[in-house]
Amino acid sequence: MSFPKDDVDPEATLSLDSGPVIASLERAQKPYVLEQLQGPGAPRRFVLQLAEMIIGRSLQAHISVDSALLSRQHVQLVRSGPEYACKDLGSKNGFYVNGVRAHSAVLRDGDTLQLGDVVMIYREGE
Amino acid sequence: MTDAFVRFWGTRGSIPTPGHRTRRYGGNTSCVSLRVGNALYVCDGGTGLRELGVSLMQEQPNDAIEAHLFFSHTHWDHIQGFPFFMPAYSSKNTLYVYDATREERVRQLLLGQMRSDYFPVAFSDLGSTIISRALETGETLIDGVCVRHIEQVHPGRSFAYSFNVAGKKIVYATDSELDLSIQNVSECDANRDRLRQLPAELVKFVQGADLLIADGQYTDEEYATKVGWGHARASTVVDLAVQAGVGQLAIFHHDPMHADEDVDQLLAVARSRVELHGARISVFGAREGLELRI
Repeated sequence: MSFPKDDVDPEATLSLDSGPVIASLERAQKPYVLEQLQGPGAPRRFVLQLAEMIIGRSLQAHISVDSALLSRQHVQLVRSGPEYACKDLGSKNGFYVNGVRAHSAVLRDGDTLQLGDVVMIYREGE
Repeated sequence: MTDAFVRFWGTRGSIPTPGHRTRRYGGNTSCVSLRVGNALYVCDGGTGLRELGVSLMQEQPNDAIEAHLFFSHTHWDHIQGFPFFMPAYSSKNTLYVYDATREERVRQLLLGQMRSDYFPVAFSDLGSTIISRALETGETLIDGVCVRHIEQVHPGRSFAYSFNVAGKKIVYATDSELDLSIQNVSECDANRDRLRQLPAELVKFVQGADLLIADGQYTDEEYATKVGWGHARASTVVDLAVQAGVGQLAIFHHDPMHADEDVDQLLAVARSRVELHGARISVFGAREGLELRI
């Protein structure tokens, strides 16, 4: 599934005095990101480019982390409007949002996600 | 094993508080859903109820929706979402409204807030079948879930509910000024670290809950000027949870003046008090969009 197209028109032409427009474009291009702080492969950064993404141990997962504590398909990220929600896919070890074990959660900027030994920070885009 | 899914749709007390200050914990007023199999139980109809309605209509647009609605009481922040609950407008849906007062008080006030002075659609024009049921004293079995209630200390009365299913227990207890029920007041005044003893009947009601969702609106400092307003210190809720051997405690009914950071601080103090009492309870702030599997 493709990412909802709410970003800028690449063909748009800017005039030299279009400061506010440029500022607006910079805001529009701020991506949704997961920053992996702990666990195999950390530190690294994943830009959330799809409306539906899987995090898991499987190589087929959109965000694949080679940790024995992750299920092959551990959680699903689903975008709805300006928000991503994270939903457990029946994983063995579950996931935690800011330390609370959740079945699903609408994510907010700065939330800490923990899946097994993998710790990530969610950064909201615009 | 039957799983119970609890989701927070509105966690704010008193009045909706939209905006960036409350984005993480949410600005909608009280509404929590409990799903067990296909059965749906809803606690309170604050503005969060609108969000639940939208979600239900998206998830099952062609299916009949049946919901069991429980109201802690009928202050605005607990009923205001009802006229915006989309499933109430469809003739294929059935809503059971439970009334712990056994006086049809809940139905009358839901109806009253839809008088033309307040709202353009009359209660009688709602398409769904709305059935009022008086809750018996003791326990009531509803679609396999055992429901109990107990009266709380709150201006105009309020009720807590417990839901028991397959060995799991969830207690919803908002708008309760626990602090007016403390049994050892003088001891606690002399030593603020002292465990505040709550009435045995209440402790028994909450006993062994896997999840207690409870009004913990105030810090100790704030409560000093808000005695009699009907809400508890978060620290006193912790003491109830400790006495009742609760597994998880969701601090609920966040003060409209509290930004997310204020709730964080309140929670940090609450967790310290759990440690002080040597207990092991997971304390967190109820937040919109969070769903737990119990």
